[in-house]
Amino acid sequence: MTTDLRISNISKVYPGCIANDNVSLQFKSGKIYALLGENGAGKSTLVKILSGVIRPDNGEVYLNEKNLKLSSPLDAKKNKIGMVFQHFNLFETLSIFENLSIDTNEDNKSLRVKINEILKKYNFSIDLDVPVLNLSAGQKQKVEIIRCLLRNPKVLIMDEPTSVLTEQETEELFISLKKFCDEGILIIYITHKLKEVLSLCDEVAVMRKGKVVSVSQTQNEKVETLANKMVGQKLAKIKKKDNISRNKDEIFKVKHLNFYSEDPFETNLVNLNFSVKKGECLGIAGISGNGQNELFQILSGEIITPDTSIIFRNKEIAKLNPKQRREYLMAFSPEDRISQAAVPELKIYENVALNNFKSSNFFEKGLVNERKIKEHSKKILSDFSVNTDNVDLKSQFLSGGNLQKLILGRELITAPELLICYNPTWGLDVGAINYIHETLIKINDQEKSTILISTDTEELLKLSDRIAVIYKGKLSKIMHSEEVTPEKLGVLMGGGSID
Amino acid sequence: MIKIEKRNDVPITLYFFTPFIAIILTILGGGIIFYILGFNPIEALKFFFITPISNLYGFSELLLKATPLCLIAIGLSFCFKSNNWNIGAEGQLTFGAIVGGGVALLFYNQEGFYILPLVILAGAFGGMIFALIPAILKTYFNTNEILVSLMLVYVSKLLLDYLVVGPWSNPEGFNFPETRQFSDSSRMPQLFEGLRIHAGIFLALAAVIISWFILYKTYLGFQIKVSGLSLKTAKYAGFKGKTMILVVFMISGASAGLAGVGEITGPIGQLHRMISPDYGFTAIIVAFLGRLNPFGIIFASLVVALTYLGAETAQIFLQIPKYTGQVFQGMILFFLLASDYLLFFKIKILNLKKNELRH
Repeated sequence: MTTDLRISNISKVYPGCIANDNVSLQFKSGKIYALLGENGAGKSTLVKILSGVIRPDNGEVYLNEKNLKLSSPLDAKKNKIGMVFQHFNLFETLSIFENLSIDTNEDNKSLRVKINEILKKYNFSIDLDVPVLNLSAGQKQKVEIIRCLLRNPKVLIMDEPTSVLTEQETEELFISLKKFCDEGILIIYITHKLKEVLSLCDEVAVMRKGKVVSVSQTQNEKVETLANKMVGQKLAKIKKKDNISRNKDEIFKVKHLNFYSEDPFETNLVNLNFSVKKGECLGIAGISGNGQNELFQILSGEIITPDTSIIFRNKEIAKLNPKQRREYLMAFSPEDRISQAAVPELKIYENVALNNFKSSNFFEKGLVNERKIKEHSKKILSDFSVNTDNVDLKSQFLSGGNLQKLILGRELITAPELLICYNPTWGLDVGAINYIHETLIKINDQEKSTILISTDTEELLKLSDRIAVIYKGKLSKIMHSEEVTPEKLGVLMGGGSID
Repeated sequence: MIKIEKRNDVPITLYFFTPFIAIILTILGGGIIFYILGFNPIEALKFFFITPISNLYGFSELLLKATPLCLIAIGLSFCFKSNNWNIGAEGQLTFGAIVGGGVALLFYNQEGFYILPLVILAGAFGGMIFALIPAILKTYFNTNEILVSLMLVYVSKLLLDYLVVGPWSNPEGFNFPETRQFSDSSRMPQLFEGLRIHAGIFLALAAVIISWFILYKTYLGFQIKVSGLSLKTAKYAGFKGKTMILVVFMISGASAGLAGVGEITGPIGQLHRMISPDYGFTAIIVAFLGRLNPFGIIFASLVVALTYLGAETAQIFLQIPKYTGQVFQGMILFFLLASDYLLFFKIKILNLKKNELRH
């Protein structure tokens, strides 16, 4: 039996923004459809309408020509529309089986039989009685998928499913998705990763600013054509210049970095040793949760570890706090823009004052020099093309991209010798990502160094001169970027070893 | 089904307006309570809120009660703004009074202009030292400052108890649990003949202005603000977190100690068991009613001081216990928290059909 899903003239308006503007799309089973768009293009709104989370202002959804009334997630489930969200809805302390039994009426015995059938059919190897907190992201996602499959879905919607997966897990996921597709499940795949669209999907609908701007066969598309449709302008392709930094001086050197925590949600770090040369970008890859948080905090001085030696420009700085390290011309851009790098409730100029380096004179003799801070903030806003010039604006009104530009601007305006950033483009749209990447490359061109801790392999390959992988608190050997491939990184990130 | 969502942007005017709503609701609630008790609510509320300040003496009493509340609340605002929950101001007040009172007793038979400043400094110092205990335990041993500061209240109260019945009791006092009267040189100068209002009010006003300056114009104030909003950011910015905890507790303790010494050198004039009708606890309400803003706290301390006076008049004229005052203070806090909740969150009612709920 074939499934035919039709969205007709859907509109959804939020105060001040049109999330979906008269969207019409048609999907048929037997194919994998990609829904592609930048952040804020309206993909998520559309998906939430399909899964009953929000109701559209206008328009209809038809499944096999039957008009669906989707007023709650339950309606979507009843109509056999399954959805795997980017963030998992699992109880960490319960076992997989318990998680799966929560929203069914079936008795445990027959449920177990049913689950085992699914496991067998799709070659999933998962122990049902293990608590979810011991699972990797890929396994958790499988649990979510099984939860959908238990309801014999006609439509399966995947929302940015690979953002947390390793290369290997992504490949496995793609194999499963193709299998589901062959069995007649209609698959809608939401992403902003262009390569995935090309390798997995048959048809692609591109959304921009709430509208569907193109529907096409993926075989007629290339990365560049899709990117142009998505962004709506010709993207200047950036590629890093070859950096001849091999014989340069080491500017930053870490020895015997060990970290032990009693908190089960923190990762211990085991004997990390590395160094960064002048004008070089050292990339540190890894799936999130393998110690990057802890590493960043130790490098920034938020955590002081005993017996570690950190040499920066020939000085031992391991015992210094972040403010003192900044005086030696280090700068830090943490992953968490909203609750760490900046405070949303503070005004822009107050957030700028967080980087209170000595020569700034922001606080002369302990007093606030508002005029100076504001002048300095204005310079950052214009130098780093933040789309406002009002330094009295509360930061919560900046978009993610603009906030990140502000943070990077604040860190970089002191012309630091070393910038340490952690997932600088996380959750940003293509335009902002490009801007940040260009900025990071520019730093290296000016003979300043960067350490880029990132979970985005593409970004790492684009920007890094050397790359190491962190896995369970241990650092792999450091490789020159030309000998690194996405596959090699994937193996290391998943805990395997190469050569 | 009810869904609760956070509001993203709360207008600042509304933020400072809700305390007034809370006060109006408290008056309405008080009226209802009086009605249930069988009084004419208008009449009773008049006794409670108008009569006490209808003459000059009453007005001086209002300022007299507002002075310690304002001082303590100003100090507490430093702690609360930076996410340090010092609720032991009553203990710091008591300990400040003990140290200040001790110095005053040393000079009980002497006169001199230098005595009062010494007593005041000793009081502030005592409160500060006492507040340092929870602060040090918090910074170096990770204890919870709420518990420690609260429990220390009883330590200092019992110490005071011991001192006034034991070693410090007045040798000519017929075994009453009180110390000697302080000499005139250890007493706060009175401002007007026949009124109890004393120079301590200037200390409170000075505290307001100084704290406004510190909170809004200095690097320390900026650090306090950032730490209160996000400790993670404060750490990332490299603020010296431990030092700051110690500093805000010291400011808070010193203010409470000043309030204590103001009471014993002002209206009381000696040490005994009942030097404070829980000013230290009530000041927590004052601090929040004043939105942790120095000038807001002036206003809030006057309102809350009025509930103390109102309770006394109500006791005299209506024969109801003076603890009604605490009922009113409780209602203010309750209505303030409730209106804050509605200010920061919106409640949405989702209409689901019956069968969906059962499913």
